[in-house]
Amino acid sequence: MTRTSRPVRAVAFALAPFAFAFPAFAQDSGDPIVIPIHNWSSQIVMSHAIGQIFEGMGNSVEYVSTDSQAVYEAIRLGDAALEVEVWEGAFGASFDAAKEKGGIHEAGNHNAVTREDWWYPLWTKEACPGLPDWEALNACASAFATPETGDKGRFLGGPVDWLKHDAEKVEALDMNFTVVNAGSAAALWAELAAAERDKTPIVLFNWTPNFAEAVWPGEFVEFPKWEAGCDSDPAVGPHPDKVYDCGNPADGYLKIAAWDGMPEKWPGAYAVLQKVSFTNPQIAEMAKLVDVDGMEPEDAATAWLAANEATWKPWLE
Amino acid sequence: MSMAGNIPLRPHQDLRPRVALILIGAALVLILGRNLLPPGLMRAPDWLVLPFADWINVIFAFLRDDLGLIHVTRAFAAMLEWLLDVTANLLYGKNRWPRLGPLPWSAVAVSMAALGWWLGGWRLAALSGGTFVWIAVMGQWQWAMETLSVIAIAAPFSVLLGLVMGIMAWRWTWAAKLMNPVLNVAQSLPHFAYMIPVVVFIGVGPKAGAIVTIIFSVPPMIRMTELGLRKVPEEVVESGKMGGATAWQLLRKVRIPTARTEILIGVNQVIMQCLAMVVLASFIGMPGLGQKLLQLLQALKIGLSVEIGITIVLIAVVLDRLSKAWAMRQPVHHDETLPWARRHPVLVVWALALVAAFALAQIFPLLHQVPRAQALSVAGPLDVLVDGFIRLVDPVTTWLRWFLITWVLIPLRDGMLWLPFTAVLTGIAAAGWSVGGWRSAAVVVAFFGLIALSGWWDRAMITVYMVGFSVFIAALIGLPLGIWAARSETRAGRMLLLCDSLQTFPSFIYLIPVVMLFGVNDVAVVAAVVTFAAVPLIRYTIEGLRGVPAELVEAAHMSGTTRRQMLWHVRLPMALPVMMVGLNQSVMFSLFMVIIAAFIGTQDLGQELQRALSATDVGKGLVLGLAVAFMGLAVDHLIRRWSESRSAALGL
Amino acid sequence: MTRSDPVISCRNVWKIFGPRPMDALAQLRADPQARPDRHVTAVHDVTLDIMPGEMLVVMGLSGSGKSTLVRCLSRLNEITAGEILIEGRDIGKMSESELIDLRRRKMGMVFQSFGLLPNRNALENVAFPLEMRGQSRASRIARAREMLALVGLKGRESYFPRELSGGQQQRVGIARSLAVEPDIWFLDEPFSALDPLIRREMQDEFLRLKAILKKTIIFITHDFDEALRLADRIAIMKDGRVEQCDTPDRIVLEPATEYVARFTAEIDRARVIHASGLAEPLTGRSAEGPALPGGQTLREMARHLVADRRDWIPVADAQGRTTGVLERARALDILLGEHV
Repeated sequence: MTRTSRPVRAVAFALAPFAFAFPAFAQDSGDPIVIPIHNWSSQIVMSHAIGQIFEGMGNSVEYVSTDSQAVYEAIRLGDAALEVEVWEGAFGASFDAAKEKGGIHEAGNHNAVTREDWWYPLWTKEACPGLPDWEALNACASAFATPETGDKGRFLGGPVDWLKHDAEKVEALDMNFTVVNAGSAAALWAELAAAERDKTPIVLFNWTPNFAEAVWPGEFVEFPKWEAGCDSDPAVGPHPDKVYDCGNPADGYLKIAAWDGMPEKWPGAYAVLQKVSFTNPQIAEMAKLVDVDGMEPEDAATAWLAANEATWKPWLE
Repeated sequence: MSMAGNIPLRPHQDLRPRVALILIGAALVLILGRNLLPPGLMRAPDWLVLPFADWINVIFAFLRDDLGLIHVTRAFAAMLEWLLDVTANLLYGKNRWPRLGPLPWSAVAVSMAALGWWLGGWRLAALSGGTFVWIAVMGQWQWAMETLSVIAIAAPFSVLLGLVMGIMAWRWTWAAKLMNPVLNVAQSLPHFAYMIPVVVFIGVGPKAGAIVTIIFSVPPMIRMTELGLRKVPEEVVESGKMGGATAWQLLRKVRIPTARTEILIGVNQVIMQCLAMVVLASFIGMPGLGQKLLQLLQALKIGLSVEIGITIVLIAVVLDRLSKAWAMRQPVHHDETLPWARRHPVLVVWALALVAAFALAQIFPLLHQVPRAQALSVAGPLDVLVDGFIRLVDPVTTWLRWFLITWVLIPLRDGMLWLPFTAVLTGIAAAGWSVGGWRSAAVVVAFFGLIALSGWWDRAMITVYMVGFSVFIAALIGLPLGIWAARSETRAGRMLLLCDSLQTFPSFIYLIPVVMLFGVNDVAVVAAVVTFAAVPLIRYTIEGLRGVPAELVEAAHMSGTTRRQMLWHVRLPMALPVMMVGLNQSVMFSLFMVIIAAFIGTQDLGQELQRALSATDVGKGLVLGLAVAFMGLAVDHLIRRWSESRSAALGL
Repeated sequence: MTRSDPVISCRNVWKIFGPRPMDALAQLRADPQARPDRHVTAVHDVTLDIMPGEMLVVMGLSGSGKSTLVRCLSRLNEITAGEILIEGRDIGKMSESELIDLRRRKMGMVFQSFGLLPNRNALENVAFPLEMRGQSRASRIARAREMLALVGLKGRESYFPRELSGGQQQRVGIARSLAVEPDIWFLDEPFSALDPLIRREMQDEFLRLKAILKKTIIFITHDFDEALRLADRIAIMKDGRVEQCDTPDRIVLEPATEYVARFTAEIDRARVIHASGLAEPLTGRSAEGPALPGGQTLREMARHLVADRRDWIPVADAQGRTTGVLERARALDILLGEHV
């Protein structure tokens, strides 16, 4: 474990007095706490940060790369112990479905609002002054046309496994857009950076908290307001016979999910997990360390922990 | 078939082109009359689209929950996990029993070098040892060992399972009859399709990765074991029987040792399949190099991706060469009068080197582990280089991208989607009929008909167009290259070596350079598929051309043919059946690649497969996977049939 | 067992390959000339006795059924009809374990392509049948060394089959077949895969071993010269039938069928026919003076025959007893060719 031994030792050292003061940690099972990681940076860094805190408490931790939707099934069955970022818009449905089946529960709530939806950088407004209204966007769809979309506008969506229902939204609102999925988050930023060079209008999937806000100022498109059931009940929303005829929740939650067996198996770690809470800027900072500064996620987590002791040390008390 | 009655004296074969022509005519009528067609002939009507996915889901839910199969699979997975933990501890020091590891990297490298020496002399020793030095020095030890710790369990499991099933298939006809179609489908199912049931039954993580790797790599082992056992000379078996061997002794001491080469080639294929799965299995939590590569590539960190890609390729080449050397290794006698140490020099040197490595690792920690901070990396300069290169070729790639998308890909795709499905089915039937009569027509129509009934026709047509176009381009590149290479022995040898090496690369590796050059888009997909698919075409073209009997060529020379005449009238016609085998493989490879390329972002079945994997939707995943498999099997059937009849006609 | 009981006895043995052999058999029994569809009659109603210590050579061209016949004798092939008795026991009725036991103690077999295990060296190959019957490692290795020395491969014990020449490989095969000290020794075209010079050398080697070992031998060959050279008796097969089964002398002198005659036509008969084969009973005739050794061929005593002036010359067996008389004129005809 060369790669992590240095930071781990550092954290362990910092935590040594606490470990002494709270022998309750010793009750934690010796089995490793399995933390799933996905394909966006803030989640990976946060997972490592929390993992390193656990390791500092004497627990062993393992990271497994899993699909961000399938993970709830895995947690439910105890294959993974927790999920540090449950975004309402993206994973609310999977999380709720898994909760219904049993085995998983909400262990905490970050002090952050999330929003993920169609988004554009500010220079786009020049080509389409009516923004952020979605009907105005639709009216200037041709400004967003690319070779692969023909005369329709291109909406650059996230990777397919994020299951964003953008195509359904286009269909429900009868928009002049075609959804083109990027292969990865990085591909989104690459396209955005390319568009920035000659200030091409672009509308793409984005979310907050995210480092991108700091690099490229922009705004979310304002769709018909989200109402509960818009994604399942055709009656909800402006079109009585369509689902997804609305935007995503503008102030979605960002929760922490845990396996039902976790409080019993690792009571010490679980107690800490319940107190974990990050804010939008903190999460954006974590993502930035990787996406902009080019650090390895493990190192980014170590660096973040070292720089923000005031934030996380109280959680151990 | 009523026509057959009218011309009873004509042999059956002569009817084929006629029926095929009639079918093509029918297809044309359907296409021309497209606007007049009822919608039911354009696309399979809703009532015909069967909810296969729901049925499969019901079956799986029943198996999993009502029958409690999940407890069985989970118990098996737990056992596997225990084994995985042992290798994980030894190789990279995961905190599990027996808590001895991690072994110093120098000790592992020394052992691999010794293995290389023993199996194939000093060159292989240098390659094998050097690879592990590279891994350690580049700071990838942990990741590589995570990968190898899974392969070290999955490969032997797969070999054992394949051996047992292969023996069953050889021993009992019913087992062979049962296994054959299953294996055919299994070998044409895309990788993703295997993963979903595994996630359902096993979950995610290294154990799931190991299991999906085992399932994926077992079919060639079964095939090779069966083949090897069938190839054991009858006399050897009889000599065993006359020696008074019982059935069990015969199997264990006569048949299996004699089938050694085939069985070990099976082992080689298992290892290569395992490596092919290294990257893909990280979608369901397999740790190691694959996972890292996936993350880095998604983050568009090209330099680091290339470093990892090189490591994966090196490991693949080393394991391939080692296992091939093992398969080809012939026993050599030793002079019995020599002392033990002289008879086993490799063993002695290895033992000494191992002790030295352990001792030195105690003194110099760098020989035990290379921390990432002290590791070398060429990623920085590589990134600058690649960046500069991309800037340089950007106008070209941008234009190429625009041209291909606007003038080729989109029109082709629209064209495929524009076709009525009945016309496509009739056209396919025509191809089947002309190749193998009504039986073949029925087989291929059944395959494509099922796709129509599955409701994924449009996506399937997108896959068809991607594969078709890519194979076409691959043929444009591969055939001339193969013909050119076959003109001289040395050139052919070199080209075949290159093809061999390229084929040992796990498919995912092909995505690195194309993402590097074209970024993440359709053109990159086409480029990756073309490269991947051109390899078998080149290879079989060379082999086909070189396999033309020398006497025939000499006879043609004596008739005074020019070089061009020789190629067109003698060599190519004779080589065609073999070249078609290459085309067949090329189609299979591109099908797999197109599906994998969903990772770059495609609109076809692969994208839906990935979505099904995300949603853990077994039914949808299997239906999509089978749709891909059926396309592959239909093409396989057509080409194989044609190639066989052509070979028979040529008397090959 | 008395000395006159046959070691191997075939009674109306049939072997028919095909999907429904029993139907084909019924058809063939009704009409021996029938050619049942999709069936091959490899052994056609063969009846043979092989005496202890006798060497029977089964001769036939490829496809004549000779290899199948010998495989029936060891039950490597199950016969379709008839019975085969080995020392009076019907092997068709033996259980699997009895059969294995029989092969482990009574039988040895040499194969055309040697049938050696490529992963074992010469020593381990020879020790294989001993290993199968559970003999201890030390004793089987000792025995295998002895056998390899017997066939002249001392010093090559640790060589692997692919490191040996064809002749050497067959010596290993011979050593292996003899390792269990079998009473019955089957040789299926043992020298056919060897080139002519080596073949001759191996035949001499074989004759040497045969003289030492005194076993009942069934030897298959497609080479008529080889058959004449080695056999006590020859069975000539064609299309699964035994055309003639007799001593070499009588086959040459009195071919039973047209087919056999075609084989013998080109043969230098003087090399084949022994004095004893030509000898007629003593009845009434008196022959005096020194006798000819019955075991010699006419060619071997050509000089003597030409010089001897007697019309009738006595012939004696190995013990010196007079067994018959030989008509000199007839012997000279054979020796010099007729109508000279």
